[in-house]
Amino acid sequence: MTIRLNVNGKQNTIDCQAGEMLTEVLRRAGYLEVKKGCDTGNCGACTVLVDGKPVLSCSYLAARAEGREITTIQGLAEEARAFARFLTAEGADQCGFCAPGFALTVLSMKKELHNPDEAEIRHYLAGNLCRCSGYEGQIRAIKKYLEAEHA
Amino acid sequence: MEILEYARPRNMDEAFRLIRERRGTAIGGAAWLRTNTKIMTLGVDLAGLGLEYIREAGGCIEIGAMTTYRELETSPLLKSRFGSLFDATVSHVVGIQLRNIITVGGTVAGRYGFSDLNTTLCALGAKVVFYPGQTLALADFIEKGAGGPFLLEKILLPASMKAAYQQMRISENDFPIINTTSAWTGSGWRIAVGSRPAATRLCRRAMAFLGDEPRPSDEKIASASQIAADELQFGSDIRASAEYRREILPALVRRALVEVRG
Amino acid sequence: MRNYHSPTPPTADAPLEATEKFKVVAHDVSKVDGEGLVLGRPAYTDDLAPENALYVKLVRSPHAFARILSIDPSAALALPGVACVLTWKDCPRVPITRAGQGNPEPSPHDRFILDEYVRYVGDEVAVVAAESEAIAEKAASLVKVDYEVLNPVLDFEEALDNPVVIHPEPGIHEMFPIGFEPKRNIAAAYHMEIGDVEQELAASPVRVETTVHTQAQQHVALEAHAAFSYIDLQGRLVIVTSTQNPWHTRRLLGLAFQMPLRKIRVVKPRIGGGFGGKQHIHVEPYVAMVTMRTGKPARLALTRREVFEATFTRHEMRVKVRLGANPDGMLRAIDMQVLSNTGAYGEHALTTFMVAGSKTLPLYNKAVAVRFGGHVVYTNKVSAGAYRGYGAIQGLTGLEAAMDELAHKLAMDPVELRRKNMLHEGETSEVFRIMGEGTEGVAMNIESCKLEECIARGKELIRWDPDHLVREVAPGILRAKGMAIAMQGSGIPLIDMGSARIEFQDGGFFKLHVGATDLGTGSDTILAQIAAEELGVDMDDIVVHSSDTDHTPFDVGAYASSTTYVSGSAVLKAARSLKAKLIEAVAEKLGVAPEDIVYKGKIFMTTDGTKELSLDDFSYDTLYHDGEKMKTIEATESFTGDKSPPPYLAAFVEIELDTETGKVDVIDYVVVADVGTPINPKLAKIQIEGGVLQGIGMALYEDVRYSDAGHMLSHTMMTYPIPSREDVGRITVEIVDSYEPSGPFGAKSAGEIGIDTPPPAIANAIRNAVGIRLTEYPFTPERVLMALKAAKAK
Repeated sequence: MTIRLNVNGKQNTIDCQAGEMLTEVLRRAGYLEVKKGCDTGNCGACTVLVDGKPVLSCSYLAARAEGREITTIQGLAEEARAFARFLTAEGADQCGFCAPGFALTVLSMKKELHNPDEAEIRHYLAGNLCRCSGYEGQIRAIKKYLEAEHA
Repeated sequence: MEILEYARPRNMDEAFRLIRERRGTAIGGAAWLRTNTKIMTLGVDLAGLGLEYIREAGGCIEIGAMTTYRELETSPLLKSRFGSLFDATVSHVVGIQLRNIITVGGTVAGRYGFSDLNTTLCALGAKVVFYPGQTLALADFIEKGAGGPFLLEKILLPASMKAAYQQMRISENDFPIINTTSAWTGSGWRIAVGSRPAATRLCRRAMAFLGDEPRPSDEKIASASQIAADELQFGSDIRASAEYRREILPALVRRALVEVRG
Repeated sequence: MRNYHSPTPPTADAPLEATEKFKVVAHDVSKVDGEGLVLGRPAYTDDLAPENALYVKLVRSPHAFARILSIDPSAALALPGVACVLTWKDCPRVPITRAGQGNPEPSPHDRFILDEYVRYVGDEVAVVAAESEAIAEKAASLVKVDYEVLNPVLDFEEALDNPVVIHPEPGIHEMFPIGFEPKRNIAAAYHMEIGDVEQELAASPVRVETTVHTQAQQHVALEAHAAFSYIDLQGRLVIVTSTQNPWHTRRLLGLAFQMPLRKIRVVKPRIGGGFGGKQHIHVEPYVAMVTMRTGKPARLALTRREVFEATFTRHEMRVKVRLGANPDGMLRAIDMQVLSNTGAYGEHALTTFMVAGSKTLPLYNKAVAVRFGGHVVYTNKVSAGAYRGYGAIQGLTGLEAAMDELAHKLAMDPVELRRKNMLHEGETSEVFRIMGEGTEGVAMNIESCKLEECIARGKELIRWDPDHLVREVAPGILRAKGMAIAMQGSGIPLIDMGSARIEFQDGGFFKLHVGATDLGTGSDTILAQIAAEELGVDMDDIVVHSSDTDHTPFDVGAYASSTTYVSGSAVLKAARSLKAKLIEAVAEKLGVAPEDIVYKGKIFMTTDGTKELSLDDFSYDTLYHDGEKMKTIEATESFTGDKSPPPYLAAFVEIELDTETGKVDVIDYVVVADVGTPINPKLAKIQIEGGVLQGIGMALYEDVRYSDAGHMLSHTMMTYPIPSREDVGRITVEIVDSYEPSGPFGAKSAGEIGIDTPPPAIANAIRNAVGIRLTEYPFTPERVLMALKAAKAK
C-alpha cells in the first residue's frame, strides 16, 4: 500500500506493507536518524514524536501514522543542538547510537514536566537504554541542560 | 506480522461489521504486532473511533478501549479517585514511548498473563463493555474469554476505590515475575494476582476469609495472604519458578492489604 | 518510580594534579562529533550502505548439533529478486577463527566460514542475497535443509571426555601449543605453579575454599553487527564494518578466502558500542562472499535476535579458589582452578581463561605459593568470545569472594585483609613473568599503584565502618555494604602494536592518522589530545582520521584496554618525532642549528630572540614557497609496550536486600580508580561508570538461558533485559592522582576495569547482610530467597 507521511513538516509518499512498523518505513525513506536497536520495543533508540508525543517507531504501525505529524530529531535540530552541547560536555554521548532517540525523549520531558527531580528524570527516560554510559553522565548533562534552559 | 488487508473504519458499526462478518482482527495499540509471526488477513484499526477517553458517567469511570497507558498514569481523574494506583500499576512497563502506544483495550482483549494492568482492573471489579452493548465482568472475561469475535469498546470502573498494587521484577524494565492488587470496595475486599505467569485471577477464598472487615488485624491479613498463595496455581518460566512465585506472594499481598487498610 | 534515593549526592571532582601540569591532556575535551551523533546524522555502517546493495540473510541452524545432509536452494532461487544462495560447498575448506587477535592467534582454527556441521542453534548454514530485505528474508525461509540431528553437549561440566565429540573433523588445528585436544572436547588448557601450593596450604593455619559459577553474558551494544561490501574501481574488495579490529578482519578474511591481503580494504565507520562483541568476524565473510560471487555490493545488519543467538557471549566459568593464610591474615598460598565454557568454537578460549589468573593473582603478591590451571571446554552453545573484563571479571569474582571468606574466618575487616596482602608501587609479582596472553608473560615492576589512596577515599565516600556493615531499615529490609578491589592491564605487551602518522598541513594544522578504533569510547578525541599536547597546539589544529586499512597506519585494534596506552604512545612518539622534524626544517630555513630553535607551540623562535616564524607561515613555506627545499613534513611511529601497567580500583557497594522476596538493589556504588593520568577525565569516568553498570547487570540481572534442547530462551531484550536508568541508585566514580612513567603523559587504561568488581562486591555485601555466600550468578530474587530459605532450614 502507499501511505502519505508528514515527517518534520514534509509530506512523503511511501510504499509500505500493511503490517510494517514506522522504523523501517522511515529509514527506507531516508530518515536515518531513526535507529534500529532492539526490534522488540525495549531500547528507545527508534523514538520519534507522533503528534508531539514520544513513541517507539518500531512498535508503531506505519499505516496508522498517516495523517499525523511525525517528528524525528532532525525536526527539532535547534533544540537538539542545545542539548547535545550539554551531553558532549559530560562525555555522555559515547557511541551515540542511542542519542537521537534519547535526545527526543529529553526534549519531550522538558515540555511535559516542570522542573523534574532526579527520580522523575530517571523515570521519564527509563525507556531509553544506554549500554555505554551507566547513565550517570547523561543525568549530569540533563540536569545542567534543564538548569540552563530554566535560567 | 504480515497484514494482508488494512482497514480504517469510520465508525463503530463499520468496525463491528468488519470484525463480525469479515473475521477482521481489531488492532489496538499494535505494539505486539512486530514480534508476532502470524498472518492477519484483515486488520481493523480502532484508532480514530473516539475510543480515547477517561470520564465519569452514570456513577462509573469509563475508560475507552484506545486509551493509552500513558493517559492512565497521567489522568487527574484517576488520580483523584484511586490515588497513585494506576501510576504504580503501569509505570514499570518499559518506557513512556511504549506507554504512549499500548492501550487498555489491547491489554484487556489480549488477556496477557504478564499484564500489570489487568490485575489492577480485576481487583477494582472492572467491567468490560463490548460493542454494541454486552457487559461482562473483567475477571470472568479474562478467565473465560468472550466466546467469539468481539469489539471491545470500554472498561467501566467504580467511581472510586482504595487499592494498592505490588509486584516483583528482576529488573525495573523487565516483565513482572508476579503482581497483585488489593482493593477495599466499601463492603468487602478484592485481591487479584497476575503474572503467575498465567493470567490474572481473583483470590476468592482469601477475599471471603477477610469478609467485610474494613480494618483486619495484622494476623488476619497474614492468614489471608497465605490463603491467596494456597488457592492459586503457579507456573514456571524463564524468570522464576512456580515455587518462588508461591513463596513471595504472601508478602506482596500482605503489603498491598496493609497499604489499603492503613 | 523507585521509592528510595541514594544517600550519596553527586560528588564534585577534586582537581587532578595532571590537569594543572598539562594544557590539553588531563582536560575534559568534548568529542567533536557529538552533535552530529545526537542529530542522528548518517554515521554507522548500516546508514552508509549503498542503495543498490543486495540484502544478505543467513539461514541458521535450528539444531544444537547436526550434520547437514543436503541443502536445496531451488525454491529460494526461484523467487524473483534472489541473487544467490551460497552454502559450505561454496567456501574454501580453510579452518579459521573468528577471533580478532594477534598473528598467530592463540585461538584454535576450528571453524569454517560455512561448514557441513552446525554446532549450536543459530550456526550459519547458508547465505542468501536478494534485491530487498523482504525478499531475502522470504528466500532464506525457503531454503530447504536436511539435517542428521546429533546429540548435543550443553552442560559444560559434562563436556570433558564426553563420548559426544563436538569437533571430530580433520584439519582443524591450534596455531601454537594451547592445550588443544578436540577429541576430549578441550579447546585449550593451561597450568602453572609458583612454589608448592599443596604444601603451603597444608601448612597454613587458616584455609578457605570458595567456588563461584559466573554465567555467560551478552554485550548488547545498541548497534547490531553490520557490514557492507563492494568491489572498487581497482577490482579490490572493500568491506565497511562495525569492527573493533580492521587489520585482524582483513587478515582473517584473506585467510578464509585464500586472497592476497592487498586485494582487501577494511573500513570502520562510527560504531554503536563494542565491549568486545565486535572483536570478531561475524558478518564480514558473508557480505564478502556475496559481493565476490555477484560482483554487486552487499549489506547485512543482524537482527537483535541474531546478535543474541549467534554472536559471542562472555565465557561461563566455574572458578574454585583456595587460600591459605597465617592467623594475622598474611596470605601464604593461592590456588585458582578454572573450568571455562567456550561454546561451539574456541574463540579467545585460552586467553580469557588465562586472564582469569594473570590479571587477578598479582593483586595479592605476598603469597609464596600460587597455582593456576584448568580447562576450556567445547559445548553446543553459541561461542564465547571477547567481552570487557575478559576473564579477569570471572577470576576476580572467585578471588574476591574467597578473600572476604578469609576475612570472616579471621574476624578481620576485609579492607584491612586486602591492604595487608595487596600489591604496592615498586613491587612485582612472579605471575606477570609467567602468565601472558596465551604465551609466557613479561616481567614487570609496578611503577604506579595507588590502591591505598583508592581504598582510603572509597571508604570515606561509602562511610565504611567494619563493625556496622549491615542495618535493618524496615522490617525485613536490610542495607549492607561490601567491597572488592581490582586490576586490569593496558594492552598486551610485545604483542599489541599501534601506529600513528601525523602530517603537517598548509594552514598550520595537523592530520593525525591512526589505525586505532574508536568504539564510542572517545579514543579519536583522546589520541588528538595527546598529539595536541605534544605539538603545543589546540585541539582544533588536529584532524583525526582512523581505522581504515588503506589510509591509516597499522593498529591491532581496540581491545585489551590498549588504545590509550598502546595507540596513545604511538601518537606521542609520532608527535615528538614530527616536532623534531619541524624544528630541524625551520632551523635550516632560518640558518641556525636545531638546538637554537625554540618551539613554543604555533611559533618558532631562535634562542637569541632575533628571528621568529609562525607555524602557519612555515606551513605555506614548506609546501609552496621554498623551492627545492619544499617537502611534506610528517612522522610515522609505532609502539608496543614492553609491559602492561595495570590500572587499579577499589569498589564499595551498599545494597538493599528484601529478606521476604530476595530482591537485591544497588543503592550506592562507589569506585575510586587509578588509571594513571586520565587523558580525558570525563571520558575515563564515563568508561568506568558504564563498566560498573554492565558489571551490576551481570551480578544481578543478566543471564543467557537455554532450553533443554539448546535453544536460547533469552534471545531478545524482552527476555534479556539490560539495566535501565531506574535500576541502580547511584554510581560514583572518582579518579586519583597517579602517573605511569611508561604511559603517554602518565596514562594507563580505563576501558575494562570498571566492569570487574560488581559481581564480587555485591556478593560480599549480601554475605555481610545475611551471612550467606552466594556463588551462582546472577543473583536473581529467586536465587537469593531460596538461599535464605535453605540456610534457615539448616
